Amino acid sequence: MSERMQDKSMPHWVKAIAIGVWFIPLFITWIKPDLMDFPTWASMTLSGIAMGCLIFLMAVGLTIIFGLMDVLNFAHGVFFTIGAFIGWKLFNTLLLEWVESDGFLLNIAAITLAIIVASLVNILLGILMERIIIRKTYGDHLKQILVTMGVGIIVVELIRIIGSAEVETFIIPGWFTEAFFIGEVMVIRYQLFSILMGLLFFVLIQWFLNSTKIGLIVRAGVENPQMIKAMGYNLNKVFTGIFAMGAVLAGIGGLIWAGFEENVDAAMGDHNLIYAFVVVIIAGLGSVKGSIIGAIMVGIFFNYVAFFVPQLAAGSLIILMCIILMLKPSGLFPQK
Amino acid sequence: MNASLTPVVQARLLARDNRIKSPATIFPLMGLFVFLVLPLFGPSYFTIDLAVKVLIFGVFAATFDVMLGYTGVLSFGHSMFFGFGAYSCAMLFREIPDSPVLAIALAFVIAAVISAIVASLMAFFSLRVVAIFFAMITLAFASFTEILAIQLSSVTGGEDGITMQLPYFFDLSYELTGSLTGQTLLYYFILVICVLMFSLMLRFTNSPFGRVLKSIRENEDRSEALGYKTFYFRLFSIVFSCILASFCGILFALWLSFVSPESTLGIPITLNVLIMVLIGGMGTLYGGIIGSFILQLLEGGLPQLRIIADEQFPQYPWLGDITGRWLLLFGLLFVLIVFFFPSGIIGWLKQRFQKSPT
Repeated sequence: MSERMQDKSMPHWVKAIAIGVWFIPLFITWIKPDLMDFPTWASMTLSGIAMGCLIFLMAVGLTIIFGLMDVLNFAHGVFFTIGAFIGWKLFNTLLLEWVESDGFLLNIAAITLAIIVASLVNILLGILMERIIIRKTYGDHLKQILVTMGVGIIVVELIRIIGSAEVETFIIPGWFTEAFFIGEVMVIRYQLFSILMGLLFFVLIQWFLNSTKIGLIVRAGVENPQMIKAMGYNLNKVFTGIFAMGAVLAGIGGLIWAGFEENVDAAMGDHNLIYAFVVVIIAGLGSVKGSIIGAIMVGIFFNYVAFFVPQLAAGSLIILMCIILMLKPSGLFPQK
Repeated sequence: MNASLTPVVQARLLARDNRIKSPATIFPLMGLFVFLVLPLFGPSYFTIDLAVKVLIFGVFAATFDVMLGYTGVLSFGHSMFFGFGAYSCAMLFREIPDSPVLAIALAFVIAAVISAIVASLMAFFSLRVVAIFFAMITLAFASFTEILAIQLSSVTGGEDGITMQLPYFFDLSYELTGSLTGQTLLYYFILVICVLMFSLMLRFTNSPFGRVLKSIRENEDRSEALGYKTFYFRLFSIVFSCILASFCGILFALWLSFVSPESTLGIPITLNVLIMVLIGGMGTLYGGIIGSFILQLLEGGLPQLRIIADEQFPQYPWLGDITGRWLLLFGLLFVLIVFFFPSGIIGWLKQRFQKSPT
């Protein structure tokens, strides 16, 4: 169907407006400083970018899995939740001393260790899930959605049983809670850390896809899976690997997000999956570059609206999504 | 038989002659009969509540089936339309408390208009590209609508919802004659509307329009090559289904005389309806009602099962624990049905008993 509905490229004035809209809040700080002053705008934008970077970590897995395997994974949220819960559990038990100290090195070590453990667990779960369940549903979108939805419900319920059914407080390592000032703008270290992690993984993924042999196979697999199989590559292994990679990224996103929100609960994955869906839809299914831009757009937009009309923050994302789909029906950077 | 008739017409005439005797007519009529006479036996509240919920969710599941089984698009936003109906009913009762008849009538009109607008918006944005966009976009719409309903508490009552003052003739204590209470009256009102909606859907899916929908579901490119504008067919079918879903919401609000985001708007409701359709069989309409019956029984009977498990098998505490984990069972049921029982009960019966049309 997509061939029939090709996007016409947008006229330049539409592009100009589409970019210009994002500077309206900055404009407000200039003409009406009493409504919102510059430092507020800056810290809001920063927290928006941080939120976007974390949503990106989830969305990018979804989008690569869809692009390569043509699988829409509605259970992607569980990896996010598992990452967060592993972080919560470790920080509260084994790593408690490291987390509570204000030393930078101990804090970083705690976070790194939590990320490694969460990644290992998610790699294992991702491989199992792909091998046992997803593999049986290739090529049937309806079955995929239904099965992954069911698996998502089961795993969330298991997390409630094994982890916790309540909303639990997540302790951020001490050093990261502090803030510093650039001029008048207050920057919280943890936000900066979230942004850096998001960008780091964006660069890593781009490097992986564009400069490595496996990345080449992945990109070629997106283009023409038959040809890749004919050339003797085992695409099934690549599929499993990519699925596990998506799971790991979502888990890291969840772990950092838990610190961002300072709490964890079993439903957080499903909640954020919806943001990730919005990002993926805006970006165009299958586009990595699109998902980081889309995610940051969603994060910033969410924060701006939340500042002016807090009740409408979540609902406004629908409007953003509708506007973008109206301009570009298959998203900003359609792949196929 | 007249030799000038084409084989298709002959087969159709034959089917018309046999349709009174076919199980596809007899069983639904028997079911309808049960629903009709049920209040005459003076059932307990549990029974009549179960019957009403089976009815409303059965028809609701059938509207979902019009989308999933006949149009081939999966929506996660169906509960949103249910909620639109329920909330428009509750809010109109709050705004015009003096004339409940007008409020109910207006609720149907307003729910239909809002649902039509939102459904066509969703369809417009998602169907233009790929059909699986639809699942994601509807999920986003539905969850954000739920958040909005919770946060705009001045209009919607927030998490507490709205309690409705039912008109006197639907009230529990009102007695028309003898055993015919207001509750029974409401029961029959719901039954009539449900039967009307269900017949409308049967007519819709068996019409030439419905056949085009089936052909789109089977092979979209081919139906397009035949000259059908598939987008408009899908759009119309989705709007039709969503409007009827909102009517189900109105009936549910009337029965509960209470609406809240959790009971009428949440994503879990869509999942419930989805599993009802899967249990009963996709693309059969009646499957929704069967699935609704099974699911309502399961959900209503599980606490009893738990009591039995705790009393009879105290040495196995995990038995009671499992019955308390409804969602876990629900998810398992979901996966198992999709993998091992994809055609549902009616589909299975059809494969088993239907003679091949040779």
